[in-house]
Amino acid sequence: MQEFEHLQSLWQSHTVEVKISADEMLAQAKKEVNGIRSRSLLNILGMALSFVAIATLWLFFDFQSWTTHVGLTIIITAIAISTFTLYRSHRIISRNDFTVHPKQFLDSLKTYQLSRYTLYNKLYWFYAAALTIGGILFFFENLSLLDMWIKASLIIFTIFWMVFSATVLRRSYMKKEKERIDLLIEKFERISEQFTTGL
Amino acid sequence: MEEKDRLFKEIFDTNSKKIFHLCYGYTGDTDSANDLLQETFLKVWQNLDKFRNKSLISTWIYRIAVNTCLTYLRSEKRQAKDELTENIIENKAEEFSEKNEQVALLYKSISKLEENDRLIITMVLDELPYNEIADISGISEGNLRVKIHRIKQKLTELYNQHARI
Repeated sequence: MQEFEHLQSLWQSHTVEVKISADEMLAQAKKEVNGIRSRSLLNILGMALSFVAIATLWLFFDFQSWTTHVGLTIIITAIAISTFTLYRSHRIISRNDFTVHPKQFLDSLKTYQLSRYTLYNKLYWFYAAALTIGGILFFFENLSLLDMWIKASLIIFTIFWMVFSATVLRRSYMKKEKERIDLLIEKFERISEQFTTGL
Repeated sequence: MEEKDRLFKEIFDTNSKKIFHLCYGYTGDTDSANDLLQETFLKVWQNLDKFRNKSLISTWIYRIAVNTCLTYLRSEKRQAKDELTENIIENKAEEFSEKNEQVALLYKSISKLEENDRLIITMVLDELPYNEIADISGISEGNLRVKIHRIKQKLTELYNQHARI
C-alpha cells in the first residue's frame, strides 16, 4: 500500500528529456508549412518545364500544317495560363510567416485552399478541354505519317491518360491536398483560438 | 526581433521540461507530448508581446499548456489510450527495473483520471503552489484544495489497485 508522497517522489524521479531546442521547434513547425509551399512550387516547376518542352518542340521541328500550329498555340496558351494561375495561388501562401503574423497566415491558408479548390474543380476542365482540342489538331499532321497500329495506340493512350488524370489522379491529389491543408488550418485555428477567446 | 528571439529561447529553456512532463503525464506518449509542447510554445511565441506581467510567466505558460492539452485531445477526438500507457510499461519492462515499473504504473493510473484531474494532479506532482494551480485552472483555491484531496485519494487508490494486479 503506497501513499501519495511515494507517487510524488516517483514522478519527480522520472526525468523527461526534451529533445528539441527553441530554434528546432520553430523550424519544425515551419517545415510543415514549407511542405505545402514546396509542393505548390514543384507544381509550378512541372508546368513551366512542360511549357519549355513544347516551345522547344515547336521551335525546332518544321511543322507544315496550320492545324499543328493552332494546336500547339492552344496547348501552350493553356499551359501558360495554368502556370500563371498556379503562381498566383502560390503567392497567397508565400507572403506570410505564421510565426510572425498568425492571423494573416491562417486567412491566407484558407484563401489558398479555396483557390486550389476552384483550380481543380473549375479551371481544370478548361485546361483539359484546351489540351484535348490542341492535341486533336496536333495529331492531324503528325499522326498521318505513322502506321495504323501506332496511330491507334497513341490515340488510345492519350485518351486513357486524359481520362485517368481527370478522374483518379485529380481526385486523389485534391483529396490529399485538402487533408494536408485542413490539418494545418485546424492546428493554426487551435493555436489562435485560445488568444481570441481569452485564456 | 532579436530581443524576442533571445527572450523566447530563455523562456523555452526554463519551462520546456516541466511543460513536456505535464503533456506527457496527460497523454502518456512522447509523440503527442511533443506535439503539445510545440503548440504550447508556438502560442507563447506568437503572443509574447501580449504578456503583461500580471502573473508569473510560468503560470501563463502553464495556463496555455493546460488549455492546449484539453483542446488538442478533444479536437483530435483522441483519448489518452490504454495502449499508450501499455507502451510505457513495455519499454520500461525491458529495463527490468522495479522503479521503472512503478513509474509506468503511475502513468497508467494518471491516464485513468478525468482530463481536468489529470492536469491538476500533474501540477501537484510538480509541486506548483496551490494559488498558481488555482490561477491556471480557473478554480477558487478553496474548491481546488478539496478537489486535489479527492484526486490524490483517487490516484493512490488506482495505483494500489494496479500494483496488486
